[in-house]
Amino acid sequence: MSEKPEHFIIDGKRLDGRRVDELRSVKIKLSPLDRADGSCYLEWGRNKIMAAVYGPRELHPRHRQDMTKAVVQYRYNMAAFSVNDRIRPGHSRRSIEISKVGRDAFEYVLFTKFFPKTAIDIFIEVLQADAGTRTAGINAASLALADAGIPMRGLISACAVGKVDGEIVLDLMKEEDNFGEADVPVAMTAGGKITHLQMDGHLTRDEFYEALKLAKIGCDKVYKLQRQALIEKYSGEYAENDEDAIPQAQIGDADE
Amino acid sequence: MSDDVMAEIHRDYLFNLVLKGERDDGRAFDEFRDISIETGVAGMAEGSALVTLGDTQILVGIKIQPGEPFPDTPDVGVIITNAELIPMASPEYEAGPPREGAIEIARVVDRGIRESKAIDLEKLCMIEGEKVWIIFIDIHVLNNGGNIIDAASIGSIAALLSTTLPAERYGLGEDSPLPVRDIPVAVTAIEFGGELLLDPSLEEGKLAGTVYTVITNSDGGISGMQKSGIEPLTIDQVMRVVDMAGTAAVKIREKFLEV
Amino acid sequence: MERTIVIPGDVVSDNIKMSGSGTYVHGNKVRASVYGLLNVGERYISVIPLAGKYIPCASDRVIGIITEVVYSNWVVDINSPYEGLLHISQYPRRIDSENMSKYLKVGDCILTMVASVDASMKVELTLREKELRVLSNGRIVTINPTKMPRVIGRNGSMIRLLKSEIGCNMFVGQNGRIWINGSGDCIDLAIQTVKYIEDNAHTPGLTERVQAFLKAKEKTRHGKVHESRNDEE
Repeated sequence: MSEKPEHFIIDGKRLDGRRVDELRSVKIKLSPLDRADGSCYLEWGRNKIMAAVYGPRELHPRHRQDMTKAVVQYRYNMAAFSVNDRIRPGHSRRSIEISKVGRDAFEYVLFTKFFPKTAIDIFIEVLQADAGTRTAGINAASLALADAGIPMRGLISACAVGKVDGEIVLDLMKEEDNFGEADVPVAMTAGGKITHLQMDGHLTRDEFYEALKLAKIGCDKVYKLQRQALIEKYSGEYAENDEDAIPQAQIGDADE
Repeated sequence: MSDDVMAEIHRDYLFNLVLKGERDDGRAFDEFRDISIETGVAGMAEGSALVTLGDTQILVGIKIQPGEPFPDTPDVGVIITNAELIPMASPEYEAGPPREGAIEIARVVDRGIRESKAIDLEKLCMIEGEKVWIIFIDIHVLNNGGNIIDAASIGSIAALLSTTLPAERYGLGEDSPLPVRDIPVAVTAIEFGGELLLDPSLEEGKLAGTVYTVITNSDGGISGMQKSGIEPLTIDQVMRVVDMAGTAAVKIREKFLEV
Repeated sequence: MERTIVIPGDVVSDNIKMSGSGTYVHGNKVRASVYGLLNVGERYISVIPLAGKYIPCASDRVIGIITEVVYSNWVVDINSPYEGLLHISQYPRRIDSENMSKYLKVGDCILTMVASVDASMKVELTLREKELRVLSNGRIVTINPTKMPRVIGRNGSMIRLLKSEIGCNMFVGQNGRIWINGSGDCIDLAIQTVKYIEDNAHTPGLTERVQAFLKAKEKTRHGKVHESRNDEE
């Protein structure tokens, strides 16, 4: 592990030049995978994430079928080569936990009742990890679900907030994650309903409240990027139909 | 899960109670069930605690042995937390390796202890990069009466407070108490009928669309959180739980003075 | 016909009575539930999804493949999360239950109809309707079922165009499978054209595009014929 930097924020700029409320650069590619029903490749800073969705499809074994709705399955996995020291392939306790809360983050928005007895499978592969893989995975999964044509209330957008040098900052990079004072990954609907929330480190109540508000700002930014990616996928004939063409009131209030 | 099916009329009953501001066992929304803590119950362990929280019974045992540190943290001791939902504790539990529910419980409890820096891990380093103390926290759920996370968190820190470093056994000097310097307390709430209820009973836990845990330290700071379950929460709801949890944790921490 | 792309959660109408397929009502507004093309009709607003699975509905005509022969039933893959069941009594004529594989064996293709779907998504099929039958020749091409309406076209206009221009026999199952029969060249061209429609299903003026596509293909076909004649000389 690298040395802890003396300062994380100098003259309002972070180690990678970002302001405290700035996201890392995000690149989105929809439907990169041919076999999956929906897929998304996401670069988030130096994170590289692939998400694939299969389903609704028949669920095996049969005793796991739910007669009233589709069962959502979420598998977060880090490739053995995704970090400096090779990690043992397969499920770790960390990946099992992230998979569980990842699944929880989506159940609220998916219309699972339309597809009794089936499974909706969401697979996340972290190909290159650089802090914030669970939130990046949620963002990619959200787009892969839309791409698969799965009916949902709206997209889920996620980002992490944290604390370094005593300041609340958006979207922790590796050094900030390793040596920072707190890490709060959050996922929300466009309307600001929280579907995923974890926290570790140390924050006062007021700092946490500030962090949540910054997370909302971050998730709003992510939502715009996700929306833009979906609209632009078919932009050949529809370049004029980007955000400008849609009244602002339609955006960002999907469950108020 | 289908084995959690509850009769619709019973659900309605509980729902209507909440609308009237009541709970089935008569508690206020922010009231915990009775807590008892008994330490030193497992003689072969370096520390242990039996905690009851209402009907829930959890035994936490601490084992300590010397070992190698993790390569990325060569100068501090190691904490390894594990939870077992043994078949004895509920008809719904099955034998076998821990599944996601047990793993989540262990990781949330671990998070609270680690992030609060309750254990002075630097003091557990003997030779940098070579030899440190490894602390195993094993959470054994004996009876699932609901809200396992809070009971496990109380049990773990209580057990740690009663733990002795077994230096003599390994020829590494004299035994000494484990250096514990804070009491992180997990407080869990559920959302049901638009209300927030602390310390959910087994039945209330089954009703819950969302389960939200906040871990606070003696200074009132927050050192861990976990939201679980499929229903979302608003920012206002989250902050209400944070405030309720802070107040409840102060009362729970007083229990430790009685031990 | 210009169409707007919407994503799940987008408000598509303030009039909740207009809520059509691919939408849901929340907070007195109609919102898109799928990623797709907005389709504003006179009575309903709907969203045509750009992807998705075939979910069977009674009286849908579909193309199925036999995957298993069990007691009194054939299990049929209908390109859906739900498998179809063809009961022996739904075979066009009375047959012996001891020897079901003699009539339909694993791998056989059928042009069938969904007779019923119950609440537990048990899908019962039938062959006891006009034009339903076992398919013993031709080829089957599969496209995304959500693109099927474009292959059929308004009141069947697109499918008529394909049949007359290419000169082949086609049957479009609602489950995304299309059966095509005719000469080898015709089938190849029909498959290419269907794939072209699938890739361009979201674009306006599709009929004109398809006509242009076929014209261009026609040219290269004749070109090739011409070339080969040159070779002979």
